[in-house]
Amino acid sequence: MKTVIDAHNVCKTFNPDTIPVYAVKNVHLHLERGEFTALVGPSGSGKTTLLNLIGGLDKPDKGEILIDGVNITALSPNELIDFRLHNIGFVFQSFNLVPVLTARENVELIMQLQNKKRVDIEKRVFGLFQQIELKDKMDVRPSQLSGGQQQRIAVARALASKPQFVLADEPTANLDSKSAANLLDIMAKLNQEENITFIFSTHDARVIERARRVVTLVDGQIFSDTARVETETEHSGLASRN
Amino acid sequence: MGIILAMSWRNIWRNKVRSVIIIASVTFGLFAGLFVLGLYEGMMDSRVRTVIDTEVAHLQMHHPHFEDDYEPGFVLPAKNKLTESILKNAHVKTMTTRSVVQGMLANATGTAGVQINGIEMTKESLVSHLGDNIIDGKGLSENRKNSILVGKKLVDKLKLRVGSKVILTFTDKESNIVSAAFRIEGIFQTDNTPRDERNVFVHQTTLNSNLSIGDDVHEIAVLLYKDDDVEAVTKQLQEEFPEVKVESWTDNSPETELMVSTVNQYSYIIMVIIMFALAFGIINTMLMAVLERTREIGMLGALGMNHKKLFVLVLMETILLTIAGAPIGLLISWLVIQYFGKVGIDISSFAGEAMSSFGYSSIVYPEFPASRMLGIIIIVVGTALVSSLFPSIKALKLQPADALRQ
Repeated sequence: MKTVIDAHNVCKTFNPDTIPVYAVKNVHLHLERGEFTALVGPSGSGKTTLLNLIGGLDKPDKGEILIDGVNITALSPNELIDFRLHNIGFVFQSFNLVPVLTARENVELIMQLQNKKRVDIEKRVFGLFQQIELKDKMDVRPSQLSGGQQQRIAVARALASKPQFVLADEPTANLDSKSAANLLDIMAKLNQEENITFIFSTHDARVIERARRVVTLVDGQIFSDTARVETETEHSGLASRN
Repeated sequence: MGIILAMSWRNIWRNKVRSVIIIASVTFGLFAGLFVLGLYEGMMDSRVRTVIDTEVAHLQMHHPHFEDDYEPGFVLPAKNKLTESILKNAHVKTMTTRSVVQGMLANATGTAGVQINGIEMTKESLVSHLGDNIIDGKGLSENRKNSILVGKKLVDKLKLRVGSKVILTFTDKESNIVSAAFRIEGIFQTDNTPRDERNVFVHQTTLNSNLSIGDDVHEIAVLLYKDDDVEAVTKQLQEEFPEVKVESWTDNSPETELMVSTVNQYSYIIMVIIMFALAFGIINTMLMAVLERTREIGMLGALGMNHKKLFVLVLMETILLTIAGAPIGLLISWLVIQYFGKVGIDISSFAGEAMSSFGYSSIVYPEFPASRMLGIIIIVVGTALVSSLFPSIKALKLQPADALRQ
């Protein structure tokens, strides 16, 4: 399996000069292509911070993070923006679609930023809307969509650039059960059929249940890292990695 | 870039009231600036017209030394050849000749230094519209050789009226002092009060006989069909008659040309001041727009929108917001200036005397400053660019992770 994320001894402290908060402490994390991983833990355990560090949105105080062999902690801010654009897909808790763009334009945005050809953009967008089953909502604004639909658009947007992996920060937190299940079905299908790597930070038992690997953080440190072993007859059961 | 332009335009309308207020401010600011420019343009054009049509004409020709001391002996050489050539020139509308001498006008009340102009009434009226400016009495009549036209200002100063007798004293060609009695036949008034006070008009034949210069003259004033031909005709006549001094209206009235260029510069400064004040409103609006969208801007940065594109996004929003008001402002300005350009704005009740003291008409006909549109557009776009800098830089400083946490 190809290594996608390799984090070594990563540390991140907020307010180092006043009241230091050790958000992430000496984290080692190794993820391979095609993983469907959940970062879990109580509030303040460092899930979102670790996700931000892996996504290149924040820089660690110590340690290094390699994405597909590239040390992103050594990249300049501009290089990091470009790296994110081409390698990382993001799904945020509160959808974060651009309200003035239609669903189609939101998905196109990433590819337009990548200066992709119009014909390629249209082909890819159409395919993605088919996968998220929202072909009939392509030309509506986010405000006219339900939370679940908006989050599916956000997933399509995250996948538009064909990233190395998708980081999803509490993707089901604002969704009802049906919408959450629907969203997870779509992401699981994309993971299984297209081998897309997903990493979630979540509290949600529904997500944890569907994850094939669960990394538990407590006080900024990895408390446990367990992988689910799938059998031919059974799709549940966890096996410890550590 | 297309999607960024679309985002910019749609972002403007996220808060319609706020955007409409800014667009209205730009519209009003532009209108105010253009109206002031239009007023200045109208005033300057009116002044130039007064200078050309009632004071110095397009061109004047003199003996090269005449204007040094206004010596009566310095008459125009080869007058007949000159007039013949001028009248043949296709650019020339009309011309007149003048005898000119500096002298003293006296009556029982007092005295005043004046320039005595010997004219042919009909020709003079065609060039300087003297006949049209007579407000009391009539023009110089052929059967009264010692009649004189006096300006309203001088009439008031020396308590004169039509029919009053005045004595003109001056020196003739041989430097003899000559005094002659004249009777006021008409009183004239132009937009230039100091000029009205300083000039009197008499029959050319009468003055010439007193000056002992025969049928010679000191000055030829030429009116052309088009203002734009002045330079070419001046050059042409000067080359043809090197023995005379040919001067255009800008040479004869340099203060007017200086005033026109100064006012042009001032009007740009006023425009810049208005737009500078507006810039603060635009900056405030755009800052609010950026701060309200901190999370969204952070998200765009997280997704991979680079600094250049983020800067362009805010820049385009500001420019679109600013220039959205520009066409409306231009249209309103054009309509209002067109209207007042026809009916005029009468400022005589509060500035009439001051205006005429400087040679300006008290009725101002504003003109749309079409020739200065490029400068105005540059000022408006410059305002938009300057206004966009601070909000754009603010947006660039947002860190995606911090912005997303908000």
